Formats: sequence, C-alpha cells, structure tokens
Amino acid sequence: MLILTRKLGESIRIGNEIKITISDIKGRQIRVGIEAPEGMSVHREEVYEMIQKQNVLAAELDMGHDDNLSNLWTQLTKKEKEK
Amino acid sequence: MQISTTRFGNITVDESRVIQMKGGGILGFEHFKKYVFLTQNEKIPFMWFQSVDDGSIAFVVINPFIIAPEYDLMISDNDTRFLEIESPDDVVLMSLVTIRSDPLKITANLRAPIVINRKNRLGKQVVLNEPDYPVQYSLTVDSVSTEVSLPDSEENLSDIKNLFTAL
Repeated sequence: MLILTRKLGESIRIGNEIKITISDIKGRQIRVGIEAPEGMSVHREEVYEMIQKQNVLAAELDMGHDDNLSNLWTQLTKKEKEK
Repeated sequence: MQISTTRFGNITVDESRVIQMKGGGILGFEHFKKYVFLTQNEKIPFMWFQSVDDGSIAFVVINPFIIAPEYDLMISDNDTRFLEIESPDDVVLMSLVTIRSDPLKITANLRAPIVINRKNRLGKQVVLNEPDYPVQYSLTVDSVSTEVSLPDSEENLSDIKNLFTAL
C-alpha cells in the first residue's frame, strides 16, 4: 500500500484520469473531492460492501425445488390476503 | 442467439434484447456484462435477469414502483450522460430481489436499482445516496397486494415488451 502525506488543497493523481483532492479537514474528518471518468463508480467503502453483499445474496437465491416465479408471487400475495 | 442457462436450459434470445451493463455492472459481478430479461408469466411483476456470459448467474428483478409506489430517485447527470439517456421515458428501472428459503422473507434492493436505457439497452447499477432507501426492502410488509393493485394482466410489463424474452 502506498501512503502519501498531503496538505489541505493538495491532490493525488491516479493514472491520467483520476484526481483526488483534500478539500477540507475538520478534526478526524476529511473531505475529499474526486474527479473520475464518467461512468466510473465511486462509492464509500461501507456502501460498496453492503451493495455487493446484497447482490451476492440475491444471486444465491433459494427457491426450493422449482424456479417458478408465478408460484412465488402466488405465495406472496396469498399470505398477504390471509392476514 | 443461443444461450445455455443452468435454470432454463438452452434458450434462444434475440440479440436486440441483450442488455449491456456498463460502469462496473452489477457490483460483485463486474465481469458479467451481458444480460437478458426472461419472463415466465407476464401477469406477475417478477422477471429474471439472466447473465448471458455465465448461464449459472440469474437474478430475480421487479419494477420498484410496483412494490414501493412512493419511490422516487434522482439519476445523476453523470449517469444519464453515461447511459446516453435523453428523456425520463428512456429509463427502465429494476430492483434486484433477494429470495430466501422462506418466501415471506423476500426483499428488494431499493438502494441500488438497475437503471437501463431502453433505447440503447445500456444499463448500470446505480447506488442512490439520497434518500436513504433500504438495501433490504421487505416485499411482505405493507406492500404487494394489500395496498398496491397491479395493473391488469399484460399491461404489467407492456412498457418493456421489447426488452424481455418469454420462456
């Protein structure tokens, strides 16, 4: 891991297209500005992990013996009516 | 084109219905770029989002407005440019659904919907920062049939008719 020291207002370049600027420092909080190519996703780490985990869960879907969405829908709507 | 899938065997899909995921695609599944929508029953709002690159990968998706009528979101200019979206009518939204062995524990991800431009079929999973929608939105609490009346039969999917393939 590369570790660099930067002052307020200074930047870091990653490749030709990504620029990260330290825009504000308040105690233990640092605000960074990120310039990245259009379409490149930039996420907070914890948000990225949360979405990724949920996607993996979604892909591991467990529908028992059949993969019939009609049955699933029926089950879901039937249970609602019984309430 | 023919694709071979784990769940549905070999299926034929029109190449013009392939969705190309860009910008990292579905997070955690970055290597898989091409998907198709498959329907088993056009009268229900669930569909499959089947990977073309890997037949074992398929997600269940639902139009988030059906389960959360108050849902509204802001797609950034960056993303609209990236997907070449010219008008709100171009946008098709889908939420990934998580199904557990107990069907009542089914949830949909409202935080990171799949945004698709129906005209060029480019898509991206967009992570919404505002408002703070849940990653696990329950489909059984105050949603589905009790409060939401589904549009009649085929109208359900009519606006995306030329995007999906019936199984």
